[in-house]
Amino acid sequence: MSHSRGFLTELELNLRAAYARAWVRIVGGNREPMWIAFEVILPIMTLSAYVFVYRVLNAPPEFTGFVVIGGMMLAFWLNVLWNMAAQLYWEKETGNLTHFLIAPISRMAILLGMALGGAVNTTLRAIAILVFGTYIFQVEYTIGDPFTAMLIFILTLVALYALGMLFSSLFLLYGREAWHTANLFQEPVFFVSGFYFPVNLLPFWIQVAASILPITFGLDGIRNVLINGAQLDGVYVHILVLLLFIAILLPLARWGLAYMERLAKKEGRLTLRWI
Amino acid sequence: MDIGRFLKSARQGFSLGWKVESNWTDPWLFSIYSIIRPFASLLIVAFIYIIGSQAGGTVNPEFLAYLLVGNTFFIYAATILLTMGWLLHDDREHYEVFKHIYISPGTIHSYLLGRGLAAASIATVSVVLTLVFGAALFNLPIDPLAINYPLLIASVAVGVPSLIFTGYMLYGVSLVSAKLEWALGEYVSGIFFLLAGVIFPPEVLPTWVQPLSNVLPLTYFLRVVRASMLSPGAPLPASDLLYLVLYSLATAALGLVVFRLAEQRAKKRGLIDMKAVY
Repeated sequence: MSHSRGFLTELELNLRAAYARAWVRIVGGNREPMWIAFEVILPIMTLSAYVFVYRVLNAPPEFTGFVVIGGMMLAFWLNVLWNMAAQLYWEKETGNLTHFLIAPISRMAILLGMALGGAVNTTLRAIAILVFGTYIFQVEYTIGDPFTAMLIFILTLVALYALGMLFSSLFLLYGREAWHTANLFQEPVFFVSGFYFPVNLLPFWIQVAASILPITFGLDGIRNVLINGAQLDGVYVHILVLLLFIAILLPLARWGLAYMERLAKKEGRLTLRWI
Repeated sequence: MDIGRFLKSARQGFSLGWKVESNWTDPWLFSIYSIIRPFASLLIVAFIYIIGSQAGGTVNPEFLAYLLVGNTFFIYAATILLTMGWLLHDDREHYEVFKHIYISPGTIHSYLLGRGLAAASIATVSVVLTLVFGAALFNLPIDPLAINYPLLIASVAVGVPSLIFTGYMLYGVSLVSAKLEWALGEYVSGIFFLLAGVIFPPEVLPTWVQPLSNVLPLTYFLRVVRASMLSPGAPLPASDLLYLVLYSLATAALGLVVFRLAEQRAKKRGLIDMKAVY
């Protein structure tokens, strides 16, 4: 009985910690209206450049839709890289990490809060990118099944943020190297995951390389439903693969965090700044 | 002004910039790092061309060369603006050395110049490697023996300082506001990417946007670079070269004025050593 109450108390504590971390992220990320405006305008400017190239080449109009949806999902990838994976590094550099570590809560609760807050903030921006991009470039969609699109979208977010949780543990141990590694994960992933063109048009070996990332399957599945009019039976493989990613990445993130924390404590550089 | 002293602190700024950017790993890994990101960016535009031209039935190898050269030389803008846009945050909030740099007599301008040149040097490594690999992989019509090198060097010698002075403005804005410093360089380079004719001719832009493109030194920088590499036998693009020089001088003047005004405002409001942790 006491064990059960202890578990519930611990669960409540961790959920409250996750909520608190998410709240800080949501409020903190939206406290400057200028940030929201720029975070919508900048991706639209970048995707506009690629849309103009397709137009110079007289590519069919659906390519504009590919780019706009890619631009929308790109916001999530950048959020996972810089506000999930790199976040514990920033917390270390600003001195907050010590407080997280001495708090009697699971590190996963903090990461969960960061993920939820980041997902909420980024979803708002992604919707704005989608709406403005669609309006500016007059994108036409052939939506197969909106519920399937929503299911793939949610599964993609869960898998992506689980990947971000896993990456964040690496940042506990590696400082500037990991920061530069995150830098490296920008353009190469934009390329292999097909943010600006359908991934199935890339050479086979690049598709194989891209298949290690959940965003590749999520992006391809969402495009298939929204632009090519696919139904559930046309994207069930995407859904199964995303579920597999979640089943692997979440436990791996938990294990990775515990391992890196142990190692960093042993080496005595867990909260060491400027390295 | 003591020129010798200015050059000495610019050299130290350059040395510091180079070390900060590169000493986190060994030189071999740093070289790979310097090439992977720009090369991936090159592959994105190359595949947009390949896929788009197949889908649209518009095969135009000159356009491929146009966008690959533009995208490659845009590395200068991206590297310099991102570095200088982020620099004050790094100096003031992260490493907490800005106040020491600032109170060293006559140091700040030479320091900024040195850091900008360090970013330009790193960008040069990326540009050369990306261009060599890109030209070989996509069989670009670039003959290394036919390139108009004096024109190319002149365009870089004028275009790169114009970007460094744009970086001055970003540094100045960051002095008085911590709200945007972490992303200012990305925003400005994003605007340049769209407006400066990097991967498509500016004439494709809506007509009301084109005047903005026409006042950016980067627009003329890329035009002159393309002329030197892709049509070396053609007459000298004198008007583009002239506009590049004029708009670069205007950018330099504007950069110094914006920095000076921001500096005065920061002093007046006590913001020089502000640590906002924003």
